[in-house]
Amino acid sequence: MKQVININFQGRVVPIEVTAFELLKNYTESLNRHFANEEGKEEIINDIESRIGELFQERITKGATCITDDDVNAIIKNMGTPEEFETMDDSQAQPSSASSAKQEQTSSNTSATGHKRLFRDENDKVLGGVCSGLANYFNIDVVIARIIFVVLLFSGVGFLTYIIMWIAVPSSATTQIGGARKKLFRDPDEKLLAGVCSGIGNYFGINAWIPRVLFLLPFLSFISRWGHWGGLWDFGDVVRFTFSPTSLIVYIILWIVIPEATTTSEKLEMKGEKVDMNSIKASVMEEMKGVGKKASSFGKEASAVVTEKANMVAGDVKNFSRRNRGGLGNVIAMIAKIFAYFIIGCVGFALVMALFGLAVASIGLFPLKDFLIGGDYQNALAWGTLVFFIAVPIIGIITWIIRKIARSKSNGRMLGFSFGAMWVIGWICFICLIASISQEFRYSSKNLAEQEIMLTNPMADKLEITAKSPLDKYNHRRFIKFEPFEGIQEDTAFVNNIDVRIVKAVNDSFKVTIIKTATGRSRTIAESNAARIQYSGVQKDSVLLMDKGIGINKTDKFRNQRVVLTIYVPVGKRIKVDKSISWFNNVHFGSNWDNNDWYYDSEDNYDDWETGHEYIMKADGHLYSLNGKPAGKAGHTKVTINENGIEVITNDNNSDDNYRYNNGEPVKKTDSIKLKLEEKQRIKDSLFQKAKEKIEKELGKNQEGSRPSDMSTGIPGINPMADVI
Amino acid sequence: MRKGVLEFCILSIIKEGEAYPSDIIEKMKAANLNILEGTLYPLLTRLKNAELLSYRWEESTSGPPRKYFTLTEKGAGFYKELETTWYELANAVRALTNDGQENINNNNFNN
Repeated sequence: MKQVININFQGRVVPIEVTAFELLKNYTESLNRHFANEEGKEEIINDIESRIGELFQERITKGATCITDDDVNAIIKNMGTPEEFETMDDSQAQPSSASSAKQEQTSSNTSATGHKRLFRDENDKVLGGVCSGLANYFNIDVVIARIIFVVLLFSGVGFLTYIIMWIAVPSSATTQIGGARKKLFRDPDEKLLAGVCSGIGNYFGINAWIPRVLFLLPFLSFISRWGHWGGLWDFGDVVRFTFSPTSLIVYIILWIVIPEATTTSEKLEMKGEKVDMNSIKASVMEEMKGVGKKASSFGKEASAVVTEKANMVAGDVKNFSRRNRGGLGNVIAMIAKIFAYFIIGCVGFALVMALFGLAVASIGLFPLKDFLIGGDYQNALAWGTLVFFIAVPIIGIITWIIRKIARSKSNGRMLGFSFGAMWVIGWICFICLIASISQEFRYSSKNLAEQEIMLTNPMADKLEITAKSPLDKYNHRRFIKFEPFEGIQEDTAFVNNIDVRIVKAVNDSFKVTIIKTATGRSRTIAESNAARIQYSGVQKDSVLLMDKGIGINKTDKFRNQRVVLTIYVPVGKRIKVDKSISWFNNVHFGSNWDNNDWYYDSEDNYDDWETGHEYIMKADGHLYSLNGKPAGKAGHTKVTINENGIEVITNDNNSDDNYRYNNGEPVKKTDSIKLKLEEKQRIKDSLFQKAKEKIEKELGKNQEGSRPSDMSTGIPGINPMADVI
Repeated sequence: MRKGVLEFCILSIIKEGEAYPSDIIEKMKAANLNILEGTLYPLLTRLKNAELLSYRWEESTSGPPRKYFTLTEKGAGFYKELETTWYELANAVRALTNDGQENINNNNFNN
């Protein structure tokens, strides 16, 4: 006989024996204990009780008056005791076990004395958990620690410090018993040379290509030499390995020192995975697959590796024999690999550098942009060219490189197409820009009026023309002219497109005139551009100091402005022209279509002379140097027309190019023409004579034959031969 | 049992249609897989908390209300993953055991 009580179980009244109730209570308490840390434990327990309630109901409806011990025991057996519940391992119930794991960690991170130890926190890491560990140790927030490190990074100290700490400070994972331990190994499965970079990548959990690039970077560190060019690039101390035997030495040292991960358990340790049956089996499976791939690419290595794997799967024996793997073949393969990668790297690198160079050049020319380009349309095109034509391929190539390194599989084709399209747009912009700019130079001004420069002392004995001011020093030996203009003062550029002519004066005073020309979009614009040229000079004693050059400012753009400086030198007076006056190699855009046709006509009227030399004007209109030699030098052809005929001499001293007409006796001009006419007549006569002979021969022949070919048309008055003459 | 296998079984049962816990246990028993209710309930709760399952209450005259579980979209996706993992494992084990079998057979023949 037992006492029966009524309990309110899951919203129902259930009669149950007292002892049974005790059993039930114990059971629910044990459930509570079991699920103490479980998230949602109330719900679980509720569900279980609900199920029990269901079973109670079954009993009752089947006819039992109350729930007995046996019933409860049976139900408990059905449900299972908490001890019998499947203990899922780590992965279950992430939140709760993670927090409990964390508690374990922090407790294990304090040693027996209760003093906190410095560890790296692998669970909360961005790179290596260094900052997390530090933050934990100092009880500051992780974010603050990271900010501090980033700031330190810029000073150069932080980078090295971080790496050192990453390696030296043990990971918190090592304190968990059976936890995954990471050791630094060389990875023999994923190696390019010796698996050093792969091993490093595995240890740090980064992609193997990152340390590879870091090792190669110093080889390409003549980048740091660029710093000398224009101070544009300065990578800082990180890359300052100069010509990097350093990095090669470091690599070789690492190669020797770091052990290779040969056994499966070593490989798992290298990757930081838990070494137990499952993971070993998994990694063996993976390696099996890997073997298949390698066999198709590297013959010798494959056979060695296959025998290796077979041994390892059997039970990890014979470690030592594997370490001495075929020496020579591997070395040759390695060297070949090095060369191939190096050459590919260089080619790609050169391409990128060319584009960089272009970008740098255009940036360098940027301050001059406003002197050339005017108007919104052209400006827009210029920007368009810069961005699409130059920047896009650079960005595209850099992106491609980065994506190759990171092995990202995102929309490669789309990206490639869009970059290609933008580059095409860049080409279009570039072409339009060129076209637009060349429009500006289409027409040139035709106003050739000479404007006189007033001389204060036209009766001087000699005139020295210079543009130097005593303070300036010009270096004309610039080969690559990043600043093609003589000088830029604030917003004015000076162009030395000056042509200097020296002509005999009609009277006995010096005269200096200038003729201004320019180009423009239309003739009127060209004329106005020409008129706006500012160029003049001031005479002081015997020195005529001209302007430094034609000043181009941003409102008057560069439009092929040229000045012809004509110096009229009286007979017997001396003249000297300094080289600072002009470049003597004109800077101009475009071909000479519309340009200086008038110019060449007059070119045969004056001499060549050298700058910096003093000449004296003689009565014949030529310049002679002070010791009597006629002026005449390199540059263009010298054409003289005088009583002797026409003489054309080029300075190459190539007598093939020199030619003369009517060499020899002086003949008066009119006579020579008469001579020419007579000559022509003679030629005609001889031709006629020859033709006549030929016809007679024909006629002679045909008279023997069929019928005479009558050369005459038979029509009176028309003589076919007359046309010949 | 290896982690994930139980979830896989449970999800595949629920995939076929909504089910309540004791139903699930019955089906598993039919497939010769014995699982304790005390194991099932926590599992179901976890799956529900991970948003792989959803449930609705159904009142019943013969007992307390029951939870009927159904697969969510996320659950369907997770199911696919589990399926893949399972087949990979199955193939791996099969490959190993088959090879082992063959070796034994060969040895027997050779002898």
